[in-house]
Amino acid sequence: MSTETAGHAAEAERLLDAVEHDFPDNPAGMRPFYELYRRIYCEGQPRRGSGPLIGVTCVQVPEELIRALGATPLRLCGGSYSQAQKGAEQLPARTCSLIASTVGMLADKGPPLGGRDLALMVSPTTCQSKSKAMQLAEGMGYPVHVLEVPQSNESEVAREYFHASVWRLVARLEKATGRRLGVRQLDEAIRKVNSARAQFRRLKELRAGLGPVLLGKDALLVSQAYLLEDLDEWTAAVSRLNDELEQRRPTALEQRWGHAPRILLAGSPPVFPNLKVPLLIERLGGLIVADEVCTSDRLLNDAVAYAEPHLEDMVPALADRSLRPNTCPFYARNTERIRRLLEQAQKMKVDGVIYQTFSGCQIYELEQRAVERALTEKEIPMLALETDYSPDDLGQLTTRIETFLDIATHRPRS
Amino acid sequence: MDCYAGVDIGSMAIKAVLVDENEQVLGRELCATGSRFNENAEGALGDLVERAGVRRQDVRHLVATGYGRRIFTAANETVSEITANAVGACGDQKNPTGVRTVINLGGQDTKVISIDQRGQVLKFKMNDKCAAGTGRFLDMTAMTMGISLEEMGASHREGGEPRLAINSTCTVFAESEITSLLADGKSREDVITAVHLAIARRISRLVGEVVLADKVLFDGGPALNQGLVRGMREVLRRELVVAPAPQFTTAYGAALLARRRAGESGGRGQ
Repeated sequence: MSTETAGHAAEAERLLDAVEHDFPDNPAGMRPFYELYRRIYCEGQPRRGSGPLIGVTCVQVPEELIRALGATPLRLCGGSYSQAQKGAEQLPARTCSLIASTVGMLADKGPPLGGRDLALMVSPTTCQSKSKAMQLAEGMGYPVHVLEVPQSNESEVAREYFHASVWRLVARLEKATGRRLGVRQLDEAIRKVNSARAQFRRLKELRAGLGPVLLGKDALLVSQAYLLEDLDEWTAAVSRLNDELEQRRPTALEQRWGHAPRILLAGSPPVFPNLKVPLLIERLGGLIVADEVCTSDRLLNDAVAYAEPHLEDMVPALADRSLRPNTCPFYARNTERIRRLLEQAQKMKVDGVIYQTFSGCQIYELEQRAVERALTEKEIPMLALETDYSPDDLGQLTTRIETFLDIATHRPRS
Repeated sequence: MDCYAGVDIGSMAIKAVLVDENEQVLGRELCATGSRFNENAEGALGDLVERAGVRRQDVRHLVATGYGRRIFTAANETVSEITANAVGACGDQKNPTGVRTVINLGGQDTKVISIDQRGQVLKFKMNDKCAAGTGRFLDMTAMTMGISLEEMGASHREGGEPRLAINSTCTVFAESEITSLLADGKSREDVITAVHLAIARRISRLVGEVVLADKVLFDGGPALNQGLVRGMREVLRRELVVAPAPQFTTAYGAALLARRRAGESGGRGQ
């Protein structure tokens, strides 16, 4: 085992130990998720799923197409600091940790790839650093398909452009899998994905209630497992967890987080095992009740609707779901992001928003002020944090988060 | 006699303050942080108690704050240094001076804190990871120039255009800038003045969206540097008040919190 492998496995181990043992009252329904992460990240096993493995680097890829072709999607975003250190050797100094980690992971086929080959890597043009990283991946021998995405998602022109782009993706996926996209298979994939997302929204409803139902550190593990686990297994596991949460009285959570400030997590996405900020928030007494990050809410919130079971209806409907409601700060004008964020903050009775930006992740940093202004108008305090995967800013983050939780606690509640 | 302690374990110094039940200061103590936080903090507290003429067991409640707060095992509780600073800035009566903005310059952090009329933190800004333009930067500058911090404060020069500019507040880059200015034959006073103004400008940029109130309280060890205070007044153009015993404001806040929280939990009332 190389030192890098040992490094990221140890990171994953530490994180899971903290998640499981430093917090009380974990629901039994979380166990399959903890075990899943241990299998993939600590033991280096490949993810479950049938057919060829297709890597995706962004929520912009309509995953149903991959599933309908009998293949399995895998999120390629890296969350490991050791992998980021390895990847950084090939990248400019101020590259975001997530990108560096992805490159490091691809370089030695570490977790979550687990040594497997990819039949294809789908790289939407939603982030310049990611696009360049995928060029590096091509140099390593990975087959890459660039999914062209318009920089605005408002106009009809943009929509047609993206439809054409998704049709090109269909053709490329058919080639990579050696299958033809069929109506029946796509219909089934869409139904399965929709019912998975329905379970996600059910969990959201449960967390909207007053009182701590599930800590954010667990909720984030649930949503991130979505692209790591067999789809039916995932849906069943979340459904069981939801059933349990509906019934149970989490007394220990009640004791520690009963009056906790309710936090919405925004900005650059937490990717396992980088749960540095979310974990710190809850260690310091905050309760994460919602998020708008693309490894969770932005990925799983929306469902696909189509009128007729024809590919000519279904494929554009998939493209629309990926384009229209997507609130990624990549898009030129992003009033929808702020609207949804405010709506969520209200619905989830949020006391404060913590907005993390990974150093070098410019689009999130650029939108931070606009988000803060909108929240301030509604008298919701926001804390902006710039951070990365290294552990050396823990002291500073602690001071900031602790003070912010104090502010959020004392804010007048309407 | 019942008393209450606040201990602020900062990156460079440990500050300890003792107050009585009426929130009056019984004593202050300062020592270098060193590498053994817990022992040194306990030592500072021991000296403080002894000098105030009370016994260690008279300390009814102890609140730790600052960077090393979690390591101090004797603490009854910990608070963030920003919360403690805000409380300390308002003092024993709740914010009688009407200060609504506090600027704290510490050993490795710079903070701008906006508070309400009760001393509750509304918003804050803090420098990122690097210690550029903080107390450490002043120390390095004094060392580079081979003078004491007091001399530095006294050497500040007001007005007298055109003045020198130091563009970097990074301790490493600024050092070479200072060296080259001195090599260029510039006077020590001009260089020191430029250093003070560079720090002040960095703070004014940090202020950003935290609105500066008309009256600003300045605390932290570097607030003892009169030259820096003058530079800050010039750049910020606000009424800048230096806190009494400015290096102890945060520890004092922690001591006040110790008194108030002991009151709450012990049911003793105010």
